[in-house]
Amino acid sequence: MAPEEWLRLIQNATKTAIIQDGKRKVHFLMKDGREMVEEYHLQTNVVVRRAWKEKGKLGQDVGWKVEIGDPEPRQSNIEIYGIEESSNTPFITRRITKTALEWRIRNLTYPQNVYSVTAEDDNTITIRTTNKKYFKKIIVPDLERAGLKVEQDRISFIYQFNTLVIKYKKPPALLELEKKILDKILQLKARNDGDVQCPIS
Amino acid sequence: MAAVSAAKCQEVREITRIERIGAHSHIRGLGLDDSLEPRHVSQGMVGQLMARRAAGVVLEMIKDGKIAGRAILLAGQPGTGKTAIAMGMAQALGMDTPFTSMAGSEIYSLEMSKTEALTQAIRKSIGVRIKEETEIIEGEVVEIQVDRPATGVGAKVGKLTLKTTEMETIYDLGNKMIDSLMKEKVQAGDVITIDKATGKINRLGRSFTRARDYDATGSQTRFVQCPEGELQKRKEVVHTVTLHEIDVINSRTHGFLALFSGDTGEIKSEVRDQINAKVAEWREEGKAEIVPGVLFIDEVHMLDIECFSFLNRALENEMAPVVIMATNRGITRIRGTNYKSPHGIPIDLLDRMIIVPTSPYQEKELKEILKIRCEEEDCEMADDALTVLTRIALETSLRYAIQLITTASLVSRRRKSMEVNIDDVKRVYSLFLDENRSTQFLKEYQDDFMFNEIQEPMEIS
Repeated sequence: MAPEEWLRLIQNATKTAIIQDGKRKVHFLMKDGREMVEEYHLQTNVVVRRAWKEKGKLGQDVGWKVEIGDPEPRQSNIEIYGIEESSNTPFITRRITKTALEWRIRNLTYPQNVYSVTAEDDNTITIRTTNKKYFKKIIVPDLERAGLKVEQDRISFIYQFNTLVIKYKKPPALLELEKKILDKILQLKARNDGDVQCPIS
Repeated sequence: MAAVSAAKCQEVREITRIERIGAHSHIRGLGLDDSLEPRHVSQGMVGQLMARRAAGVVLEMIKDGKIAGRAILLAGQPGTGKTAIAMGMAQALGMDTPFTSMAGSEIYSLEMSKTEALTQAIRKSIGVRIKEETEIIEGEVVEIQVDRPATGVGAKVGKLTLKTTEMETIYDLGNKMIDSLMKEKVQAGDVITIDKATGKINRLGRSFTRARDYDATGSQTRFVQCPEGELQKRKEVVHTVTLHEIDVINSRTHGFLALFSGDTGEIKSEVRDQINAKVAEWREEGKAEIVPGVLFIDEVHMLDIECFSFLNRALENEMAPVVIMATNRGITRIRGTNYKSPHGIPIDLLDRMIIVPTSPYQEKELKEILKIRCEEEDCEMADDALTVLTRIALETSLRYAIQLITTASLVSRRRKSMEVNIDDVKRVYSLFLDENRSTQFLKEYQDDFMFNEIQEPMEIS
């Protein structure tokens, strides 16, 4: 996707904004019917949460898929589906800071020196372990939307407290795109009070 | 001749069967050859050659999928195989074509209107073949561990460790999944896939690295590579859903959980219009394919005039399925009116139908059917006993004779014999009355039954 396309999608979306709990919350209803919610920190104007409302192909609600921020608390539906990851398997959360995209993979209990993080040809950041215990291909939607490739020399990672923290330094093109979108959002008139109904269709 | 036809009906059987034996469970198809010629005894079907041939032609029409909204009426006396032919068609169509079977009286419900029940039945008979992405887990089993509670009762707890060439993950298992893993006999070294949404397990084979675990392996053991990359993958699968299922998912008041509880209530017509538009759109984009199915209405004379006029209209819709109806009535009153009509169906609807008659079975055919039923009910019967039973079927009814099979076999088992002989049949024949003898009996002893005096004032008036 070219960056202009994403910009246009945001521009044409029906947007609703409120200020709540020290965050500017914006709801987007895209022209193609998709719904997205972003939450910006009031002081820093950094996205702390971004979630998409997922719909199944037949129109059934699947729930919110969190792209950035802490995932929704999972309820155990092991008796419905019969299988789920054990609670101590690694899981990923995403954050965004002013200058970098960050991933935290928690519950990684393997030694420090087994991890390797590389930018791959299929435009993913790939995490490998030499002991063959953990493997993950991370798709970076922000870069995809800006039409950028993942570059190896922007990646850095550290491992501490059973957590692998991966940082990807934002390329200038992405910074510029984010700034344009933020400008648009700051122009939106935000309501301060609670009960706002967002258009959903 | 008889020996040849007996050999023909010895077709492949499943070794373990779980289903119970129903009235039509011996039917496995229409018993036609490739040129739609009916074989005399095949796939559980006997005789009724013309009707079966007609059904075969209809089947071709359905498989073609081009013609919408045709109605076929199977008409014939009771016990001439109308439902059997419909079941045979359902079997011949296969799993992927929706086949909805309902009885005419099913539409009378307090919870929904008659037309709603009919609309739902019609929409249950139209399938949409659609591609959808599902999440599957694909990996080699490292360890499977199941803990049963010490008391022996209560939920089992299970853990499954799966790996690929790159990673390894531990999964918690629910009770159902433990059971199906047990049933599939999954063990360490197997490469399996699990569909996360449905919990369906598929054993791909054994991992090459475990090829030397045992000195001897069965010839059918397939060895596969350990999967690569991530354990969880997104895969595109094609599946068929019915329009009714999409309706239910999209009717906001219920959500898709209503599908499981079965309580769907009425669905708004706006929802249906929306779905129709969406399906048409998918179809144009090539994302989905319509699979027209079959709606079978048994005892169709139980529908009333409103339903018939609704059906008249509904059949004209291009999304309508092929409707097969069956009735055992002759010229009778149309329900809800005072008019009489053939089969209890209004003439204008009859005009839109093609009518397939079924005729009473001949003695030889009755014998074949009884033989097939004997086999289906695991009952060995002596030849002379079968002849007597055929005689009974001819004089009373086929259904009564079929009832006698199991009862006679129980009697023969009481005297520790493996085979049912003529005396057993005679004995159950005297134990259980058929409809004729029962009527006879009632007429003779009418005066000794209760409330018989009520009958008399009515006769006087």
